[in-house]
Amino acid sequence: MILVVAEHRGGKLNRATWEAIAAAQQLAAGQAVAIAVVGSNVGSIAADVAAAQVQEVVTLDNAALEPYTPDGFTAALQQAIDQLKPAVVILPHTYQTRDFAPKLAARLDRALVTDVTAIKATGGSAIFVRPMFQGKLSADVSPQGPAPHIVTVQIGSFRADAAAKGASPAPVRALAVTIDSAAIRQKPEPPFQEARQAVDLSQAERIVSVGRGIKEADKLPVAQGLAAALHAELAASRPICDAGWLPMERQVGSSGQTVAPKLYLALGISGAIQHLVGMKGSQTIVAINKDPDAPIFEVADYGIVGDLFEIVPAMIEALKA
Amino acid sequence: MQTLAFWVLFVAFVGAFAAQVATRVRLIAAAPGAFALDDLGGRVQRFLIDVVFQVRTIRERPVVGLAHAFVFWGFVAFAGYTTVEFLRGLGLVDLTETRWFFAYRIILVPFASAVLAGILFLLVRRAIFRPATLGKTLSIESIVIALFIATLMATFLLAFNLEEASLAGRMNWWAHMLVILAFLALIPASKHLHLVLSPVTVFLKSPELGRIPNLDFEKEEIGLETVKDLPKKAALDAFTCVECGRCQVNCPAFGAGKELNPKTIILQTQEALLAGERDRKLGDLYSEKVLWQCTTCGACENQCPVGIEHTPIIIGARRGLVSNGEAPEYLGSMYNNLERRRNIWGLGYDQRQKFVTSAALETFDPSRHDVLIWLGCAGAFEADYQKSMRSLFDILRARNVRFGVLSKEQCTGDPAKRTGNEYMFQELATSNIDDLKAAGPKKIVTSCPHCVKTIGEDYRRFGYEVEIVHSSVFVAGLMRDVRPASAPAGAHETVTFHDPCYLGRYAGTVDEPRELLTKFVGGSVDFKEPVRNRENPFCCGAGGGLLFADKEEEPGSRISDVRFRQLQDTGAGTVVTACPFCSIMLKGAQTSAPANNVQFVDLMTFVNNRRRDVTIE
Repeated sequence: MILVVAEHRGGKLNRATWEAIAAAQQLAAGQAVAIAVVGSNVGSIAADVAAAQVQEVVTLDNAALEPYTPDGFTAALQQAIDQLKPAVVILPHTYQTRDFAPKLAARLDRALVTDVTAIKATGGSAIFVRPMFQGKLSADVSPQGPAPHIVTVQIGSFRADAAAKGASPAPVRALAVTIDSAAIRQKPEPPFQEARQAVDLSQAERIVSVGRGIKEADKLPVAQGLAAALHAELAASRPICDAGWLPMERQVGSSGQTVAPKLYLALGISGAIQHLVGMKGSQTIVAINKDPDAPIFEVADYGIVGDLFEIVPAMIEALKA
Repeated sequence: MQTLAFWVLFVAFVGAFAAQVATRVRLIAAAPGAFALDDLGGRVQRFLIDVVFQVRTIRERPVVGLAHAFVFWGFVAFAGYTTVEFLRGLGLVDLTETRWFFAYRIILVPFASAVLAGILFLLVRRAIFRPATLGKTLSIESIVIALFIATLMATFLLAFNLEEASLAGRMNWWAHMLVILAFLALIPASKHLHLVLSPVTVFLKSPELGRIPNLDFEKEEIGLETVKDLPKKAALDAFTCVECGRCQVNCPAFGAGKELNPKTIILQTQEALLAGERDRKLGDLYSEKVLWQCTTCGACENQCPVGIEHTPIIIGARRGLVSNGEAPEYLGSMYNNLERRRNIWGLGYDQRQKFVTSAALETFDPSRHDVLIWLGCAGAFEADYQKSMRSLFDILRARNVRFGVLSKEQCTGDPAKRTGNEYMFQELATSNIDDLKAAGPKKIVTSCPHCVKTIGEDYRRFGYEVEIVHSSVFVAGLMRDVRPASAPAGAHETVTFHDPCYLGRYAGTVDEPRELLTKFVGGSVDFKEPVRNRENPFCCGAGGGLLFADKEEEPGSRISDVRFRQLQDTGAGTVVTACPFCSIMLKGAQTSAPANNVQFVDLMTFVNNRRRDVTIE
């Protein structure tokens, strides 16, 4: 039996769990797959994953398991593994998994293979593929020794939508685990929430970016108008941010953000290399600049040599129509 | 009786001198490493020029330098006199009645007068005019020494008018000798120790500017972490400092109002050594922030009249920091780019290949090509600089030079080396050297002065020697026999040239760019020199990894802004550059400056445009 350990936080299932389920189903090749949900009051999470085509969902529900601690989770899973006796335990390779999986493997004295990107062979002598040296090599790894073998799968390597769903929800049962809360050494603080920035350019699908060609701060509305018409975020090259016309978090370049939106419109940006390295990954680059020799035209997919104060308003008009 | 008294004083004062000197010599001897003695001929020559003829001292500050030279030459001339008088005073032998000694004293009179004039001038300058480079507080010790020197000369001259055996005569003699003894006892603990040390320091100074030896990773060398890691030359430098402030005044970071001050670094070193703070971290002693403000332009080291090498100390300390993972964040992404993509921009090789194809460049083949063109990271990836490269190729083809490029180039490692990431540098260097050796060029031409320094000098330490020249040198050579027949057409232009630090100062190449700039222009170009030019330019601010610096530290302005203003002040409408990084930094400064019409053009593009407009006979 292959056991998948689900991950959740704040009452929400982590999508990577479905990837782990897909991996487990591929590895199982017909054998049974079960899912374990660890935590406190995890009923709704269990119900969520029960949609998968698995033999059963087992909840390890204990008040001491909330919030997550490596000591707590290890103790719970150790008991579950003792009872369920899986051949392989599969987890998604998340930060949380990295926190307790080694401890669990050491506690059980069993092989651990991490960050797996593919499964080559299944059955008794399964082979897992994992990267080495920052992805410069791929290694085929075959875990040795008695069961269970513990495997974590790289996020994005297995497709969540490849996880087969069952015709009807799988049965959910509780598995009693005893946790000695006094033995849990970690005392977690509440999660740290970084101050929300006004804008996260790396998430923007479209960006309108201004450079020195905008000439003055009070001409910015021209660019803002285009950004609004395109439902795009506003960004800028360094001189604009240095002059304080736009905040630093809108700076794109080697000393600002690196962005790769679907559409990047460069208005009055010459294309100095420090800016280029911040946006060259954009799917489509459109440049407007008075100087036909500006380096931005080397990387632009579409270039307009002209006065942006004439062209941009015309664009806005066309977009409104 | 007098002799006995003299002996007692002699032993006491000379003893004090010797003890203090011994402390410092011990500290130097205890420092790790050894002094290098390569290029003896060059060292002797530099010794003659800088020490004996005081050229460096005079060149930077002519009047003051000459005054100092008088004092120095006088000192040397007086050596014989002082020796004879001491021998007499110690009762060992009396040569004062000989005829040659009499003639010698006559010859010394003009020397003594020169010294007196010189020292009085310097005294008045220091005490009354108070130049900024000598610091805010008046150095009493310097005043005292100056008065001592004046007294020595005065007593010497006075002796001609006094009966030796008379009371006045004997008092005069004793005054002279006591001042010498006091002088001896005072100088070791002051900057006047340079009298003893500077000839040695100048001789031991490296023949190449900014020499940074390789770290030996087999021996687990990681750079300079604490005071006790400072090598012998650094310790010697610390005690030789004259506190003249030439390094400070020429430093671009200091000139932009930043905290870095090369003179302070040397004096902090001296303090730490004398205080025995062997385990004090250099990042703490110099302040880490200050260490990262250096562009490695070399102005400090180049201007120093007594042979101090500031660059190895700063870069050595950087190495100690980087080895401990304490590099500033902006260098982190640069190092990542170097490691993963082998260029500082992090761009893929296909970009270089695109350029090679579009410029119709051939792969270098020693049997067919005269020179190898080293594109460098700017030539390979930077669209703006590629225009300059195309101009260069145009010129070469017009002069029938056969050239090719390597199929694969990695960053020479200069930014890694100057920021203290020696490991990354050695990885890049050894890989490039393998490729270069396989290609086997006899001569390399490149448009990047940093590549010239790194391949030409730093790679030599791996045993790879090749002739590499900057494109301005090569093209000037190509054009030397070319005479423009007609006067060029075109509007009148005012042009100025920004000497790159790594070209003008490090390589000493200052004439060839000017030769090229004035060759094809006739009267249509007015050529203006900015302040700080030729071998002593004011840095553009890109070096030492500062190209990538993101936050501006308070206080101070950007070095590139300061330099842009200096170039603007020439009134030139066109600024010519000869280094891709100068071009990037100064253009960046231009966009941050108030609206202006300054045009930037690279030297190769300037030359190519002009030569095409002119008929050649």
